[in-house]
Parts: sequence; structure tokens; C-alpha cells
Amino acid sequence: MFSDHIKLAIKNLRHRLSRSLLTLLGIAIGIMAIISLMGLGEGMQQAITGELSSLSDVVIVSTGGGFISSFGGGGSSGEYFTDRDIADVERTQGVRDVSTQLSSTAYAEYNAKRTIVSLTGMDVLVIGLQYSTSELEAGEFLGENDQNKIMIGYGIAHETFDADISVGGRIEINGQKFFVSGIFAKQGMSGFSSDTLILMNSRDFKKLTGQSNISTIYFRVNNVNEVESIAATVQDAINENHGQKDFATATTMTSVLETVQSIIGILQLVLVAIASIALVVASIGIMNTMLTSVMERTREIGIMKAIGATNKDIMSIFIIEGMLVSSIGGILGVVLGVFGSQALTLILNNFMMMGGNSAGLSPIITLFSVVLAVTVSLLVGVLSSLYPAWKAARMSPIEAVRYE
Amino acid sequence: MSTDVIVTQNISKTYGKPPLQVFALRETNLRIKQGDYIAIIGPSGSGKSTLMNLLGCLDKPSSGKIYIDGKDISLLDENELARIRREKIGFIFQKYNLIPTLNALENVELSMGFAGVDSQLRTANAKKLLEMVELSKRMTHKPSEMSGGEQQRVAIARALANNPSIILADEPTGNVDTKSGDNIMNILEEVNRRGETIIVVTHNLAIAKRAKRVLQIQDGVVKEDVFGYQDQMVKNTYV
Repeated sequence: MFSDHIKLAIKNLRHRLSRSLLTLLGIAIGIMAIISLMGLGEGMQQAITGELSSLSDVVIVSTGGGFISSFGGGGSSGEYFTDRDIADVERTQGVRDVSTQLSSTAYAEYNAKRTIVSLTGMDVLVIGLQYSTSELEAGEFLGENDQNKIMIGYGIAHETFDADISVGGRIEINGQKFFVSGIFAKQGMSGFSSDTLILMNSRDFKKLTGQSNISTIYFRVNNVNEVESIAATVQDAINENHGQKDFATATTMTSVLETVQSIIGILQLVLVAIASIALVVASIGIMNTMLTSVMERTREIGIMKAIGATNKDIMSIFIIEGMLVSSIGGILGVVLGVFGSQALTLILNNFMMMGGNSAGLSPIITLFSVVLAVTVSLLVGVLSSLYPAWKAARMSPIEAVRYE
Repeated sequence: MSTDVIVTQNISKTYGKPPLQVFALRETNLRIKQGDYIAIIGPSGSGKSTLMNLLGCLDKPSSGKIYIDGKDISLLDENELARIRREKIGFIFQKYNLIPTLNALENVELSMGFAGVDSQLRTANAKKLLEMVELSKRMTHKPSEMSGGEQQRVAIARALANNPSIILADEPTGNVDTKSGDNIMNILEEVNRRGETIIVVTHNLAIAKRAKRVLQIQDGVVKEDVFGYQDQMVKNTYV
């Protein structure tokens, strides 16, 4: 019997082919929007997660406000880490590769233009840890024995001064000459901007500024599983040194990861919610089409009842029609969504490329999102055909047969 | 001895409430036996269709009882009524009322489908019925590709599909030419000869005269035997 209902439903849909196709298209577009936005969100999530988890054994300890300030030049609290802090960190069990980041401001002069810049001093080892070669636009990283050499951000190289600076170029900082050994590519909108960075090794930094203001301490741990507990130990020790409860914040990539993931999660939810509007509109479309169809087929419904169809038969024929339209639409939507997400990423990547970011985002369509989309479309089909089907089933056979 | 297939006890159908109440059918008592061939005649608005709808379980009487094969249908719910319509009654309408999206064979199969008949058996049965009404060459044609007479013959085949005990035909020849009409009545009479109960509503006296028993309705009141037939089977019935 059920297969007969399906056959009848298919016949009816084919009888009104263009209308069925248009209704189907509505659902397809809704599902396409959901699939492509979910794919994009997933791609984003995995790209960022992948990048961050490669740094899962790194702990960053910064003064005051936490993670973000550590990249923003640090020292926002006006206080810096002491040698004792560093010694404590180095003494902590399971810690290796302790290094520091120094921050200050200085006057820089190039091509007869003078401006204030922020200066960062890092151990050469840490530079290699912090940045990857793929982030370089030109030149190379600082070497262990380099002197009076600096690496600069894209902004310093191309925007701060009247003329572009290239590798080998000479900048005067606080009256002392430095040579550019590497230029970072444009970071654009990405969070940890190094566009305005002037990076030198710690030795040069101390010699130049006479300061050793440590705003950030980096270290790695031997065992990734202990990263959280070691971070906590270090944070407590430093806070004790300064007699302040929140002097230092030790941040691990795990906690950053969690934050970033929850932010992306919210973002994904918002994207899907927006896409769902299209689906709601489509489901209203189905209901509208079905109601029209019920009206048109009043007589047919009456005949079927007269020859013995039960209310259940009639309902199921109409609900199957709705489900067929929406599930075919859903499957089409998934296919379109796969292409749609590719197109969307292409556009986004191009957009970021213009901003100088080389991030190669690629969409990830998960099985979950496909199953979800098809389930949702089926559900939409059932829900939006429920009322028309009920209306059809409730029709009195006499009135329906008499209906012209 | 043949048995009663339909018995009505004081059935009335009214619309509206007193004092504006309108009687479409008034206190009707009928006894219809297996194998009867009955014509119901009367001017339009007389209550013919109301009676048909009541006998066909498409509608329930406002008062009184209807027994079909001994079963009081006033006690049945909608699903059970649908089952009675499916199993015991075959409808033939003036306007054929075939499903436009289905071809002749599928139309005949449809009610068997609702009855849950196995699909192979259904097709075989439907083919047989269409052969009987001489439409074996038109099985795959849709209603829009057939003449009125052909469509009505498909409708007859459909009405017979579930082997009902009663065939209700509402002006079966109303929309076809005389020759096709004659053909349709011949088929119905053939079906009657096999023992099926036939009830035909018509205002064509020539058609009515072919029946074994004629009922006339006027203003909701049924009168028996207007042509004075004295068929053996009619004697025991009353109005």
C-alpha cells in the first residue's frame, strides 16, 4: 500500500512538474546555504585547530591581561618579569627552551623620515619557534650570530615610510644602524599581527635600549600531557614572587584552542541560523504549493475516498509528496552546497589574499552535516505538508465529488 | 433465497434546524436484496443523490438506521465506512470521475490498492475487468485520451474491482451518447445477471424501464414501483 502511495505521489508531482521543480529548488537553495556555510565553518575550525595544536607544548606567560597583550607588545600593566621569575621558570620540572620577549618603543628613521615604532627583542631560537618561514615575504630569519640585523613587518617595509624597504635596507633605530634581513608577509586581519613589528635579537635589544623589560616568557614542556599543570605551577610561582594574585597569566595553546573553538562554534551557529531562514521560506513554499494542490485535487480526493481510501491513505499520499519534494531538494542542495562552499572559499581566500594573508582555507563537508541536511529537509517536507494533508484528509467525499 | 444487502429503517436526511429545517429525504424504508436491479428516478432536487450518498456510505442519515449486509453503518467510524465503501460498494458517477493522472489500468487497480490487494493479483484482475468492458486495447491510456463512453466503462471496471455486493450508478449514461449509454447499460445488466446488486439513479425513463424495480423520489419521499412491475423479488419489499 505504501509503495502505491509513493507511486501516486510521484505521478502527481510529475503532473505538475514545473511547480514541483520550483518548490524543490527552494528547498535546494536552503540546504545549499546550510551545507556550504557549515562546510566553511568546519574548514575554518580545522585550519585554526591544526595550526594551534602544532604548538600544543608551548606555554606563554605574560604580565597582566593575558594572551592577547603578549603579542601586542606586552607590558601593559607597567610591570615586567624579573630575573628571579625566569630562574623559577627554568627550575620548574618538565620545562625546556625558556625564552623571553622584550618590548620597548624607539625612534626609527629611514629615507629621512622619523617615526616612533615598537621594538621587540627575542632569542633567535624563539623567533624560529614563533614564526614559520612561510610567513616571510622576502629575506631570511635572523641567525644566531647576526649582529645589528632586524626583521620587519610588512607595514614597516611598505607603509610606515615614504619609500619601500627591501632586504638589506638600512634603518636607523635610536641613531644606530640596523640592516633588514627578513620581511614578514602581510598578516592583514589575522589576530596576531606582525605588520608593525621590528624584531631583533635580545642582545641587540638590551644594548640598544639599555632595558631588559621582559613582557613575555615562552617555554616548552617535555610532556604535552603536563602542559596545563606546569602552566599553573609557573603562574603560581611568578604571582608569589610579585605578591599579586593576577600578575602573570600562563596561557597554553589548549586553552587558546578552546576559546577559539567556542568562538568559531558560535560563528558557525550564527551562519547556520542565517541559512535556516532560507529553509523556513522554502518550507512555506512547500506548504503553499501543497495547499494549492489540495484545492485543485478536491474532486480527486473525493473520488479516492468514495472508492475506499481512508483518511490515513489521503494524508500519507500528500505527506509523501511533500517529503519527496523536500528530500530530492535536500539532496540537490547537498550537491550544490559542496560546490557552493568551494566557491565561497575561493571568494574568501581571494579576499584575504588581497589583504595579504596567504591562509589557504578549504571547506570541509562532514558526513554529519550531510546527514543533518537531508534529515532536516525530510523533516521540513513532513512538517510543511502536514497541514495541507490534514486538510485533504478531512474533506467530505460528497462535497469533494460534487466540487467542480 | 436471496438475502437483504441493504435495509433502511426510517432514514431521514435534513439540513438546517427547525423551523428552517429542510428534508432532503423523509422517513424512508427500503429493503434491497442481493441481485436486485433498481432504478431510482425523480426530478433534480428530489433527493436522489442524497439517497445514493446514504446507501453508498458517503454520508450518514440524520435519523434512522442503514444496514449493509446486516451491519448497522450508523455506528461505524470514518475508517470503517471507508472499508465498507471499498469492499461492498462500487461507485459509478455521471462524470466518470477517473483520476486524471492515472491510466485506465491504474485507475482500476487503485481501489484494490486501497484494499491492500497484492500488486500482481491486482494487475491481473484489472486487466480481466478491462477486457470485460472491451477496453483491453486502451489500458495504458489516460482518461483525457479516451471518449466519454470509454471512460465510463473504465469506471465500471473500477467499480467492480473489489468484487462489491452493490453497484451504485449515478446517472451512468448522463454524459454519453445513446449508443454508448446502451452499451454501458448492457454491461451493468450483464453484471446484474451474475448476481450483483445494481442501483441506478437516472432521469431517463428508457433507462429506468430496463430495471427490475423502479423507485420514484419526489420531495424526499420514495414511492415504489411506479411502472407497476410485479417482479417476484419486488413483492416482498416495501417502501
